[in-house]
Amino acid sequence: MLYFLLQHKGCSFALMNLNRVYHLICKEAALEWRNKSLLASMLIYVLGASFIVYYAFQGHIEFQVWSAIYWIIILFSAINILGKSFDKEVKFQYYYIRSVVPPLEMIISKLVYNAILVFIFEVIIFLEMTLFFGIEVENLPVFFLTLFLGGMGFSNLFTLFSTITARTGNVVLLSVLGFPVILPLLLLILRLTGLSDVEVLVDDRGLNIGAVAVLDMITLVLSVVLFPYLWNE
Amino acid sequence: MFEKLSKQVWWKIATAVLLFYTCIYGFIVKAPDLPILEESIRNLFFHVPMWFAMMFLMFLNLIFSIMYLANGTSRYDVYASNTAVAGFLMGCLGIVTGMIWAKVTWGAWWVFAEVKLNAAAAAILVYCAYFVLRSSFDDPELKSKFSAVYSIFAFVMFMVLINVIPRIAGSSLHPGNGGNPGFNSYDLDDNLRKVFYPAILGWIGIGFWISTQLIRISFIQRKLEDID
Repeated sequence: MLYFLLQHKGCSFALMNLNRVYHLICKEAALEWRNKSLLASMLIYVLGASFIVYYAFQGHIEFQVWSAIYWIIILFSAINILGKSFDKEVKFQYYYIRSVVPPLEMIISKLVYNAILVFIFEVIIFLEMTLFFGIEVENLPVFFLTLFLGGMGFSNLFTLFSTITARTGNVVLLSVLGFPVILPLLLLILRLTGLSDVEVLVDDRGLNIGAVAVLDMITLVLSVVLFPYLWNE
Repeated sequence: MFEKLSKQVWWKIATAVLLFYTCIYGFIVKAPDLPILEESIRNLFFHVPMWFAMMFLMFLNLIFSIMYLANGTSRYDVYASNTAVAGFLMGCLGIVTGMIWAKVTWGAWWVFAEVKLNAAAAAILVYCAYFVLRSSFDDPELKSKFSAVYSIFAFVMFMVLINVIPRIAGSSLHPGNGGNPGFNSYDLDDNLRKVFYPAILGWIGIGFWISTQLIRISFIQRKLEDID
């Protein structure tokens, strides 16, 4: 059914040019790097948020509370970072970009770029939060796998929804649409973060990693299939 | 097929008969003698089928959304939005009946330890966001297209919330989740089964009926506004 929807829009993976996708990602990174104000402001945002948490809890925190707050900070910064991901295209170069880039390459380059960006911010927040609170995670590989999968899921959902907000110009809409839909992913991720701190319950961990990975795959496929419908309006 | 079905009478009569049967015989039938549950087991004929009805209507919403994206006929968008309204109504009724049941058996209107309850509330929120999205567009075609895309996401997350998260979480008070026994432990009682299955059909039927009426109202409104 999904394949039919994709074919219906005249999009096919066979026509996809990976070289072009790579260049789109580079273009995105170059634009971001040239105008550092967004990156810098996000950095300050993240730093400020973790500092506020540090003061509010007076430097002492349990691992469970730590992980909950950690993911909430990530959620809010992800909304701020990803919510703008189609602003430039829609405002200034919509018809130009649409005529040179097929939608499939557009969305895949955006998804990859956003996933990397969110992952970098997750690592930065993690470093800050460990610096402030001195938290030691038992199993770092599982923790970083969680970070990677979580960042991917966030980018899959919010990138597609940011198309909607870019087209309507209503910024609040992104959180209204995004929060309920991200909730199952967030619940699974929180559980997985909790599990990465204990060395028992290895079976449970595999099940959770599998569930998060499947959810990521579903959101990825849906984003890729449905994007052409939002883009070629 | 949908138009034809919504004009036919037989299933409306069947729905009415089944619901009368559920509401009357459901209170007469002999309930099994279970501790804690006791007479509240009769809520099985209301609470559970309402969720089934919501799932059925939301599935219809998904199908119509996909058909809208494939065809671009605005008729399908009217179907999709109105089945979502009827499904939302059924979900709210399901939550209310569930709360009453929770008060009787678990001792509180709302229990945090219960994963499925919170997941269901989140699922209701997902569809609230769907209605917010629908109301925030001026351009009708843009509205239909974007809400169709969102409702596909919404259905997937609805299924994950209701059916996957409670099973993974491993600590649910609902039967069938987290090591609790499934329906079979109640259903073994043939008396209950005699009401439960007709009740499912009846509630799904009335949900569908409500959605067909809402669709008719929408079409009349569209005609008044000269859209069609």
